[in-house]
Amino acid sequence: MACHPPKPRFVLALLLMLPALAASARVCVDDDAGRRVCLEQPAERIVALSPGATELLFNAGAGERLVGAVSFSDFPPAAKALPRVGSYKRLDMEAVLALKPDLVVAWISGNPETQVQRLEELGLTIYRSEPLRFADVADTLERFSVLAGTERTGRAAADHFRDGIAALRHRYADADPVPVFYEVWEEPLMTVNGEHLISEAIRVCGGVNVFADLPTLAPRIGKEAVIAKDPEAIVAGGMGEDNPEWLELWKRFPALTAVQRDNLFFVPPSTLQRPTPQMLEGTRLLCRHLETARARR
Amino acid sequence: MPGVSGRGLAALALLAGIGLLAVAAALAVGSVPITVTQLLAVLTGGGDPLHRELLLSLRLPRALAAFATGGLLSLAGALMQVLLRNPLADPYVLGLSGGAAVGALGAMLLGAATFGVSGAAFAGALLSTLVVFGLAQGVGGWTPTRLLLTGVVVAAGWSAVVTFLLTLSPADQLPGMLYWLMGDLSYARSPLAAWLVLAPALLVTLPLGRGLNVLARGPLQAAALGVAVRPLEITVYVLASLLTAVAVTTAGSVGFVGLVVPHMLRLLLGNDQRLILPASVLAGGALLTLADTLARTLLAPEQLPVGVITALLGVPTFLFLLYRSR
Repeated sequence: MACHPPKPRFVLALLLMLPALAASARVCVDDDAGRRVCLEQPAERIVALSPGATELLFNAGAGERLVGAVSFSDFPPAAKALPRVGSYKRLDMEAVLALKPDLVVAWISGNPETQVQRLEELGLTIYRSEPLRFADVADTLERFSVLAGTERTGRAAADHFRDGIAALRHRYADADPVPVFYEVWEEPLMTVNGEHLISEAIRVCGGVNVFADLPTLAPRIGKEAVIAKDPEAIVAGGMGEDNPEWLELWKRFPALTAVQRDNLFFVPPSTLQRPTPQMLEGTRLLCRHLETARARR
Repeated sequence: MPGVSGRGLAALALLAGIGLLAVAAALAVGSVPITVTQLLAVLTGGGDPLHRELLLSLRLPRALAAFATGGLLSLAGALMQVLLRNPLADPYVLGLSGGAAVGALGAMLLGAATFGVSGAAFAGALLSTLVVFGLAQGVGGWTPTRLLLTGVVVAAGWSAVVTFLLTLSPADQLPGMLYWLMGDLSYARSPLAAWLVLAPALLVTLPLGRGLNVLARGPLQAAALGVAVRPLEITVYVLASLLTAVAVTTAGSVGFVGLVVPHMLRLLLGNDQRLILPASVLAGGALLTLADTLARTLLAPEQLPVGVITALLGVPTFLFLLYRSR
């Protein structure tokens, strides 16, 4: 009787207790608004107020602790099943409160600050997120994993992302510069300036954003400005994941170098316009496109 | 109330009842179901902590803000329509919402906090009022037509500045800015200021009713009947502007209510300002409270802009009344 091996159920109970033991410590991180966010114990009920934050939380291993998300939180597919708390522009305050979250991840430039402040006044713990650089994406993964007590997953994801970007940066460090026009939107015609993360992706691949010097982050520009800059490659995002007709429209201007050499490229916007680890894929694709452009010289 | 018939008083009582029902509905309905028993438990000081928070921190302030904003806008609209003797007049026709929006957007671009933005919106609204008032005096003295034209042109100017500011603004500020242009009660914080202006303003306008009735027939007739036309017009202008400025500061430029509610009431109750002015406050408040409640619950958790619902409720009702009228 005494030398029976421990019953599987007992082992299971021990295993289940492990995270609970690890979780008894207070955790603190700094958010992107420069405030210190502290939790008495890692978060168990997280509400994410932007599609990007939802994705980052899943990547950081905190997906199972997510209890609410905003509309259009569609990646990874498991995010689609989360209860909704309105859209990022208009939060359903009641729905957020009713989920009794111990952590709310807000989006500085997307959520109405008044509503976020209100949630804070009502006693919720808020992490304000705004990853602007590749380094921020990796840092955010680590911070989310600290807050959720899933450091191992978070750190691995962060390292994978950092290493991937560093490898691209290294590979294209001495590549010939390719002047690039990135088209965010067709009507009105919009691009990004040098501050934007997409512009950092272009730099990593050895490209030069022809509109880097403009003062606003996502400026509206005219077609003539594009023609005047005569970029070697035109890269478009778009609304869906299909090749947009926008690129076809540039063929009306055969004088453009990008048109002559057929350097009209598409990168799915979900892999380049959201500051999440998917950007590694998007940036790799962008780099391949710019290599193609170099080969067509 | 002096001079209001029994039928008028009955109408006011009915509107007050509808107003109370609207506020009650705003308290009872939301994304989180709360039963009437639970609601009463909270209102009598007990209840579940989550329900207390939902009702007392979210639903009640918002319902009161909606009611006050609707009341302020309808009263301002009713006053403007009499003052300008133009059925198309609404609280914003003289460029007030544009001034408020320019103030708010400018403050946001400069990085002001919430309080600073509200203050700048209020200052912008008052500035616009002063500019229009000053320019409408002109060389030849003030007439409603000159006032209207000055206001409409100043409004066009503000709207150009708004477009310019929006073009300059970083994308991260656009959601906050659009709120000032569309109006949205989810941003309303404390309804206190709105009520502190609405209640005295209503008391001030009640004795003006008779004078306004005469003024509505034309300034010459009013003067002949012994009404001091200029002082009355200036009082009405200043009052309507103040009401609108407070409404815009509370909830942004909520449209439609100020234009349509006074007209609906005139179609239903006749054009007696002594009755129309208080009725506008009650009906405007009830309409906006109801519309806002629907806006936040109809597609919950998706939140609709309140303007969508005010129009969906108001347009068919108004057209029906207009069609039936003689």
